[in-house]
Amino acid sequence: MASSIGITGIGILCAIGNNAGEVRDALLGKRSGIGTLRYLPSLHTEIPVGEIKLSTDEMKAMLGVEEPLASRTALMGAIAVKEALADAGIRDLSGKRVALVSGTTVGVMDVTEVQFEKLGGMDPRIPRGNECGKSTQDTARYAGLEGVPCCTISTACSSALNALMIGAEMLLRDEVDLVVAGGTEGLSKFHLNGFNSLMICDRERCRPFDDTRAGLNLGEGAAYVVLEKDAPDALAYIAGYANRCDAFHQTATSEGGDGAFLAMTGALKHAGLTPGDIQYINAHGTATPDNDASESNAFRRVFGDSLPEMSSTKSYTGHTTSASGSIETVICVLAMRGNFTPASLGWSKPIPGGAIPTPGHTGVHLENVMCNAFGFGGNDSSMIFSRQAHLLDGEDRFGIREAARVRIDKVEDLPGLHEFYTPMETRRMCKLMKAALLSAFRALRAAGLEKPDAILSATSTGMLETSTQFLSDIVANQEQMLKPTLFMMCTHNTIASAIAIRTKCHGYNCTYSQSEESTFWAMRDARRLIASGEADSVLVCSFDEVCTEGKTTEFFAETVILQQDA
Amino acid sequence: MEELINNLKLQIIDALNLEGMTPEDIGNDDPLFGEGLGLDSIDALELIVILDKFYGIKLANASEGKEVFKSVATIADYVAKHRTK
Repeated sequence: MASSIGITGIGILCAIGNNAGEVRDALLGKRSGIGTLRYLPSLHTEIPVGEIKLSTDEMKAMLGVEEPLASRTALMGAIAVKEALADAGIRDLSGKRVALVSGTTVGVMDVTEVQFEKLGGMDPRIPRGNECGKSTQDTARYAGLEGVPCCTISTACSSALNALMIGAEMLLRDEVDLVVAGGTEGLSKFHLNGFNSLMICDRERCRPFDDTRAGLNLGEGAAYVVLEKDAPDALAYIAGYANRCDAFHQTATSEGGDGAFLAMTGALKHAGLTPGDIQYINAHGTATPDNDASESNAFRRVFGDSLPEMSSTKSYTGHTTSASGSIETVICVLAMRGNFTPASLGWSKPIPGGAIPTPGHTGVHLENVMCNAFGFGGNDSSMIFSRQAHLLDGEDRFGIREAARVRIDKVEDLPGLHEFYTPMETRRMCKLMKAALLSAFRALRAAGLEKPDAILSATSTGMLETSTQFLSDIVANQEQMLKPTLFMMCTHNTIASAIAIRTKCHGYNCTYSQSEESTFWAMRDARRLIASGEADSVLVCSFDEVCTEGKTTEFFAETVILQQDA
Repeated sequence: MEELINNLKLQIIDALNLEGMTPEDIGNDDPLFGEGLGLDSIDALELIVILDKFYGIKLANASEGKEVFKSVATIADYVAKHRTK
């Protein structure tokens, strides 16, 4: 049965405002929130950031939270969740089936890294920043939603937009009555140093789509929307979406923007719209040399010479990484409701042949707008919002069978990976990654498949050894001379994207990180993809490791291939 | 110069985790990127860390390293001229 998915409430907290009204005013007033570090105890005060204008203690007081180790990620999330529910006019959730679907990558890392330094290493008392699902549960608890099922998506900087898609699919399948979907990410020394080691942090305010752009400014924030089925007077409706993979490189983007092109065309097709129907695009536009050149190329492939008004609002908020997809969704809704297009700040000189952002207009009617969110691993997603309700299909038509299952949990099995990768290609891989890829390629072979249609992964704490090493280096080297390889290999979606790169799979690619329920959510999504006919074959790779004193002591990786039952 | 070249090769093998390789496997003039050893943009960033850590040389961005990182010999030349430690 087809239904519409309405956005009935919005909540947002970012560098330009503590709520939706403040954010709208800053956008209309063209006021950027990028400035000097104030709350994060990092030595890199030369790097401009988009911090929210609240201390951790102020947020705890706002929420009545007394836990000593509350993270900014969870606190910001809770404030935005509460605003969204209040905006939707929801006071009582009793009797309703509710889910919180949230994107995050660094989780509670801001707390982890401080404790790590204080206690001189990883200690069982320290909350593990990598355990993203735990961070979402904290968000739920601080927002007064204790006990509500949580589902955490960790596809780096597209996490929050993917959370909206998964929330919409839950409603279309009548699994829940109401979804709160979005993302939250608090600034951490971990990812500030990580992005700095990749040499993509501008020392000035970022300049998206400008020829002189020299990188991004990291930001922090949270945004959530309330999604409801067939709501008559929603603020906006989700018209269509697509999640695709660039399948090119862990951190670099393909020159032609293949993943971005496929995500935008996929979203248009899903919405039943043409490029000419879109009046505004909120670009991913990080202001890195790579992203803006490649996103420009993808725009040209989709829109030709008729690019709608387009801007990147990261020059206001900074790049809020995992939260950017929902922060920019809320900005899109504010623009639609307020009849304006946000200006792209900091732009003056076009990239030769590149896309030209809008100076911003008021008094415009926005019927359909597009929002892009792209992440490490080439996890590229695009979503379209409309003023009018669009019917989306949620019907299951096909049967499912398990075609293969392979588990790897012994060190002595790992050399088997050289059947699939050269030693040069495995140089960056930790044990867990080798195990995961070996299980994936053995499972594909057992199923007689070269390339699946979709790739999902599931992990509680991801690359624990690699990220602990990076944390140790941050402390030991005083935030200097850090290895970019460690940072780029430790996002939770590394495995799913490595499989996509090797199999050249540009299809749906998603990573779940909900503690011990990670595989449950990934398998549920896999079954949906096949039952709906979106994919004929889906690879699901689950993996986790145990570390003692920073070294892997136990690990497992298990890959399941599901196929349509003929 | 020969000692510097050998040290650079050892530092590269260690930093890039080139399992099973020895300095003899990397020719002084072999291209490091593309068709040669096959390094990529992330390896270039690791090379920048090597220059900083062992030789006190700070490159502002990866594109500055493009000419420097052609081969081990070009890196050694650059290091010999610019090292501060």
